[in-house]
Amino acid sequence: MFSAAAESFLRQAREVQPEELQRFAARVAAQLQGPEPGPEAAACLQRLHLVVAASKYPRRLDGEIVGLLQKVLCSSKCPEQIQLLCAAILREMSPCIDLSLSCDNIQDTKLLSLVSSVLLAQGDKKAEVAAVGQRIVKVLEGRLPEGQSSRYLLPVLSNVISLSPEALTEEQTNVVSKKMADWLRYASIQQGVAQPSRGFFSNPRTRQPGPVTEVDGAIATDFFTVLSLGQYYTEDQWLNMQAFSMLRKWLLCYGGKGLNAPNSGNRSEMDESVMSMVSTTSTSSHLLPPKERLREKAFEYCQRLIEQSNRQALKKADGDLQKACLIEAVTIMDIICKQDSSYVYRAAAFLKVLHSRISGDATYARALLPIAQFFLNHGEMAAVDSDAIYKHLLTDIPAQLFHNASLAFEFVLFCKENSQLFAETSSIFRQSFPNLFKFLAWNSPPLISEFVDLLPFLLDAGTAIEIFHLLLDLPCLTAALDVQMRSTSASERASCDPAVKPATCLEAFRHPLYKSAFQYLLRIESAPEDPPERLIPLRQLLGSLASSPRVVQCADTVPVLLELFFSVVAEFADGPLINQLVVLLLQRSDQLYEIPAFKDDVHRVLSSQLVMLCKLHPALIVELSKELLEFSGTVSNIQNKEAVFTHVVWAIGEYMSVSYDKRCTVEQINRFFETLEAVLFEVTQVRPLASIPSYAPRAITVLMTALTKLAARSQDLIPRVSLFLSKMRTFLQSPAVTSVYCEEDREEILTRATELMNLLKMPSVAQFVFTPSVDAARSRFQKEVNDTLPSALRIVTRLLEPAPGFVPG
Amino acid sequence: MVRAFLLLALGGPGPGPAPCRVLLARAFAPPGTPPGTPPGSPPRQRLRRKEQLLAVARQVASHCHLHQASSGRPPAPPLPEDPPSLHNAPGGLFRLAPGDPFPQGTSVAWLAAPSLAFALVCDPPENLALAEGTLRHLAPRLLAALRPPGTGVLLRPDAADLLLDRLLPHGQLLFLSERFLQAVDRELSR
Repeated sequence: MFSAAAESFLRQAREVQPEELQRFAARVAAQLQGPEPGPEAAACLQRLHLVVAASKYPRRLDGEIVGLLQKVLCSSKCPEQIQLLCAAILREMSPCIDLSLSCDNIQDTKLLSLVSSVLLAQGDKKAEVAAVGQRIVKVLEGRLPEGQSSRYLLPVLSNVISLSPEALTEEQTNVVSKKMADWLRYASIQQGVAQPSRGFFSNPRTRQPGPVTEVDGAIATDFFTVLSLGQYYTEDQWLNMQAFSMLRKWLLCYGGKGLNAPNSGNRSEMDESVMSMVSTTSTSSHLLPPKERLREKAFEYCQRLIEQSNRQALKKADGDLQKACLIEAVTIMDIICKQDSSYVYRAAAFLKVLHSRISGDATYARALLPIAQFFLNHGEMAAVDSDAIYKHLLTDIPAQLFHNASLAFEFVLFCKENSQLFAETSSIFRQSFPNLFKFLAWNSPPLISEFVDLLPFLLDAGTAIEIFHLLLDLPCLTAALDVQMRSTSASERASCDPAVKPATCLEAFRHPLYKSAFQYLLRIESAPEDPPERLIPLRQLLGSLASSPRVVQCADTVPVLLELFFSVVAEFADGPLINQLVVLLLQRSDQLYEIPAFKDDVHRVLSSQLVMLCKLHPALIVELSKELLEFSGTVSNIQNKEAVFTHVVWAIGEYMSVSYDKRCTVEQINRFFETLEAVLFEVTQVRPLASIPSYAPRAITVLMTALTKLAARSQDLIPRVSLFLSKMRTFLQSPAVTSVYCEEDREEILTRATELMNLLKMPSVAQFVFTPSVDAARSRFQKEVNDTLPSALRIVTRLLEPAPGFVPG
Repeated sequence: MVRAFLLLALGGPGPGPAPCRVLLARAFAPPGTPPGTPPGSPPRQRLRRKEQLLAVARQVASHCHLHQASSGRPPAPPLPEDPPSLHNAPGGLFRLAPGDPFPQGTSVAWLAAPSLAFALVCDPPENLALAEGTLRHLAPRLLAALRPPGTGVLLRPDAADLLLDRLLPHGQLLFLSERFLQAVDRELSR
């Protein structure tokens, strides 16, 4: 708990002035130089550490105190606590300019590990990493003095090779590989003994330790692994555990041909002869070079771990460890097979058996991912039909385990790793995308950025429409998954009377009216032919869950995905697909899940993307004139979907022109004109003694502008528009309107009406302003909806009604 | 490799009055720079390290709050004096994109306790299941060693280091069975 005391401590530490710090450091130095630094020295060092650590800006400490800290760190007489604190302070200050620390003469392995932690934090300016690496290998090679343990050295080595794989020579890696093979394979299978107690009553005879056991209590059947249990552990058993812990990294780094960074795998040479599939037996293995020998021992270790994972662990922690070991073992086998393809046949057979064993067990689901990855990498070579494995992974797992957040995360990472498979049109990977979105629907915050990376691979002309609907219904999917989960855990099966309408979502889940809609929403495979209209009643039913936090979090991800969707689709969509999307866009704009903020955000995205689609394919205005007429003629759309309506009307005004599509006839322009005129009339009607609804001012101005634009192209319409615009003043000054619209908005509408009227007094200018050539329209100065238009209108207005003192040039 | 271990105080959700604070941070790798840029002076390197860890802490706090909000349950009361068992504590995984804040992409495993969170920043090839398990072993032992909550964390880096040196030495995740953990506990209590 972060109490107020801790908060004030931090603040005090930050506010310590440099002089105060120097004085305090001098005091610390004095204490450290004393005969035996005790608890007061420790307390001072703790405070010094806090002062240094609390600020992200550097704290200057005297070279003297830094030197003293190093000296005390290396001194064997000091208590461990003091040494730890000195190391912590030095690390906190790293990189240090005046560090003279060296690991060369340190014999004590624990101290060597501690000093290494300081050296490795220096950023390798003076090849500290290599120096540490060399020293560690030297100590490992040689004979350790009595009481010293190599345990503390392996983690340092692991850190060294992560930071700088070149720190070790090939000879040194061979030495270590040889030792690792021994530690992995030949650790004692007898339990260790307790440290002999030296009390007065201690029994000088120590009991004989028994053999180590498996996790289920049975006596160990084979060599020692991390899944072998003992009351006490011997030195080589510790090394066994540590060697396995760094094995993956070591193999990635040094197991392949030549030097690799730990993060890359090495592709095996595919021209290894098939005859080498007969693996070398262990009797001749001591003749193998160190790298190959380690590979073999590692492979055997992994096989043993996989067998050991079949046992029922007595302790939960051991059960969890079994699963982690399984994942590690399969991954290491995969790496080994990449480095030496002669292992592929053995591994493939083994892993196929493993897969059938665990595929029904939900607790082992995470291990299915590295197994699938193995078969993706090597299945072809092993001539194994792994389609059943992928099918199970992609269809069953997401449907049943979408709520397991860690599995969801690793699953999506797996998909990203293999994204090229999802790009193949008819692959099982691509077909399962509805299932994948269940992960996102349930676990939105951690997975949204991963899906942003993955979505482009799922999108093409064949899936675009289905994915469009799926994205808009994503929060609905979250709600449906919630219902499904509650239904599976419901203790009693509610009896389902088809004649009675369901009262709750849970009842509806099994009700014949809604069942098939649920099934469609929760489908595991792409179903492009199914009409999404059947979801309309379901969406309404699920409205009761619209405020659930998980649903809201999912809804927040949809606008981002929609924008991404359109930007990807824009790259490949042709005319017919764009038309289809626009029609669906208009339809879906009022078939959305009832979350107010969600609907507003989606409308905002859809309307701006509509403009983008129009720019890509302006002819859609003519091709979809029927749908656009219907949409723009519906007055209620101004209230329900103001953003979409406004942009539709703008698009009509902008693109309904012969310069964009030769098929644009005068009749069509007139038809649009009449529709928009009727809407504007309806919106600006003042009914006596009745209150008028408030429409967004932007809708009014865009309607006026669109009408003017159309009139500029079909000049018979000019008188009608001018008359209409001239009536706007009356409209705006009527008392009913003044109470509904604020003064600013009324000013704006009036100004725009006046400007448009003035423009229409010069029809040829109007025509020029409103119907630029197609090239000019694409110039970067006309990107925004009403960007340059207002300024053009203002210039014209000034020309027609010069302010006093303004002389037209 | 595991790049860093963090213990942070969660603060309040959203841009509220209580930001998250890093109580304990242990980096196992230097901050790293984008390829092609020089590492910079030592104070700058240190500043980069601190800022990177703070950036991770903010992300962890944000994910903790979002996870807690999505569960629909009210926030747990602050830690009592006795450290609770964290077996069922909420936890999760998320990814940090390359450049934000480390040069290459990393995965973060986190575990939440009331008003505190623990996190491990892992490079791609690390075993995330093992990382999550390590957090579940590390967290209760840290909380027990660092009492009283709050000031204990700030003033006892040696106690934290003792534990980290056993359970996460130099950032190495260890495959520790229950018995190995007991052996570690025995060594620490000596």
